[in-house]
Amino acid sequence: MLKFIGFRILQAIPVLLVVIFVTFLLVRMAPGGPFDEEKAVSPYVLEKLNERYNLDAPLSEQFFDYLSGILQGDFGPSFKFPTRSVTEMIATGLPITFELAFYAMLVALFIGISAGLLAAIRPNTAQDYVPMSIAMIGICMPSFLMGPILVLIFGIWLEWLPVSGWGYSPGDKILPAITLGSTYAAYIARLTRGSMLEVLSQDYIRTARAKGLSTQTIIFKHALKGGLLPVVSFLGPAIAGLLSGSFVVETIFQIPGLGRFYVQAAFNRDYTMIMGTTIFFSVLIIFFNLLSDIIVAYLNPRLKLGNKK
Amino acid sequence: MSSSLSRSDVEQGRSLWQDAIARLWKNRLAMIGLYVLFFMVLIALLTPWIAPYSYEAQKLDIGAVAPNAQHWLGTDTFGRDLLTRIMYGGRVSLAVGFIATAVALLIGVLWGAIAGYIGGRTDAVMMRIVDILYALPFMIFIILLMVVFGRSILLLFLAIGCVEWLTMARIVRGQVLAIRHQEFVDAAIVIGLSHWQIIYRHIIPNILGPIIVYITLTIPSVMLLEAFLSFLGLGIQPPQSSWGLLISYGVETMEEYPWLLIFPGLVLSITLFSLNFLGDGLRDALDPKASKD
Repeated sequence: MLKFIGFRILQAIPVLLVVIFVTFLLVRMAPGGPFDEEKAVSPYVLEKLNERYNLDAPLSEQFFDYLSGILQGDFGPSFKFPTRSVTEMIATGLPITFELAFYAMLVALFIGISAGLLAAIRPNTAQDYVPMSIAMIGICMPSFLMGPILVLIFGIWLEWLPVSGWGYSPGDKILPAITLGSTYAAYIARLTRGSMLEVLSQDYIRTARAKGLSTQTIIFKHALKGGLLPVVSFLGPAIAGLLSGSFVVETIFQIPGLGRFYVQAAFNRDYTMIMGTTIFFSVLIIFFNLLSDIIVAYLNPRLKLGNKK
Repeated sequence: MSSSLSRSDVEQGRSLWQDAIARLWKNRLAMIGLYVLFFMVLIALLTPWIAPYSYEAQKLDIGAVAPNAQHWLGTDTFGRDLLTRIMYGGRVSLAVGFIATAVALLIGVLWGAIAGYIGGRTDAVMMRIVDILYALPFMIFIILLMVVFGRSILLLFLAIGCVEWLTMARIVRGQVLAIRHQEFVDAAIVIGLSHWQIIYRHIIPNILGPIIVYITLTIPSVMLLEAFLSFLGLGIQPPQSSWGLLISYGVETMEEYPWLLIFPGLVLSITLFSLNFLGDGLRDALDPKASKD
């Protein structure tokens, strides 16, 4: 087990280095310098700027400078907002994005697992078809459509919930969380249904039935642990998806999180900010994938390193 | 299978493909998906001839009007006919879906087939590369690419295609590896067929099923990705249009003119729905083992 975890962590390091290197190279390859403005900057100022941001050093030196900066938690200054550092902006945006992702995850898990269970208990009945059809809608309806439609219905027409903001008025976190979580709720519902059906047809469940246990005990005590494995291994990719989904949701609802910063940086061509957030998001995503792999390995004793595909 | 019995003695067998088509035919949702898709593609192809208005036509004096007899789906704030805009947008959205999937298909199949067929160390190295790429957060990289190299539609095809080939490579490699070690391939080698003949006659027909299924499931995810990027303003750029872009315009004015959001959204959702149903149906039809849940 420890060996597996160690191996996976070691595997993550080259991936991270590749991410940092590719990001760095791509941003440096971008046509046009970071200080190309509508108004031409005088050569002297440009020289000073390049000096200030260490852009006149050889590329390899810049890369290693940047790398060692990252290791110390310093992503450098923002090109567009010279008074703020990228680290600072990440630090302000991150808690908000995490909070949003956390609520969205709660929504996804709660709705997804209950719908999947309902469907698996009585397959091929209305109790199966209705939640699964809704799940299909959830998968096909992208968040950038779901969000505005929810806003239109609950915010503008019914006036039940605030249409935007984060933490300003009660209830303004509900719509963003549902918007972000709905797609994952749908996937989780399908995964839960599929694996619960499989588990429920196993011999040990039949034994439990024969012993005379109630359906509730069978499902919650015996079946759920195995049945939720695919859901757990989906959590890693789901969190990755939630983080990139936050780009859209934070833009729609005007939430000052990391995702909105990233989109703004992309618009402003704020290269250091793009670099910093890209690398930071990558670290997060790799970390969560790693975490869900480890949890799955922990829950499933059959999955040993050797026979893993 | 050639025995001494004459053909009329044995019951006429059905090939895997006949079986699959029969199964697909019986799946009502998948067939509806297929028809809807066929309809969408047909409309997209014929748009320049059948669109009710020209793409650029503006009627600034009327502005945004709700759906009526002249403009079935209403007009936008510039007085442009929404139905026409959706039809032209569909051409771009569908083109991105098909072309980017084709790019993914080309890279993925080649990569997977080479790795699976050669095997050994080559396979290990090639698949390790895929593993590493898998761990990269691609959405972010596509955005990065679009920012760095400008927002061109060609780059969008390439960037999305380059992301989606990984799963394809894995699927193909797994299939090729499994078939490669079957006895009929050994037999083919023994009777002296060349590698290309083996690949062409034995490997490709056998891996076609999973590939087709995966294609139908990749197209919607690619279209979604394009719409997502266009929505953020990082994908298709005006004057070109796509469903994602129309949705993002619709959101800006949804309070006053909700139809500008609802119709493009509806069309995109229906298309994605159809593709997903078709993909699920094809999977059930082509891979009977996987469908027994």
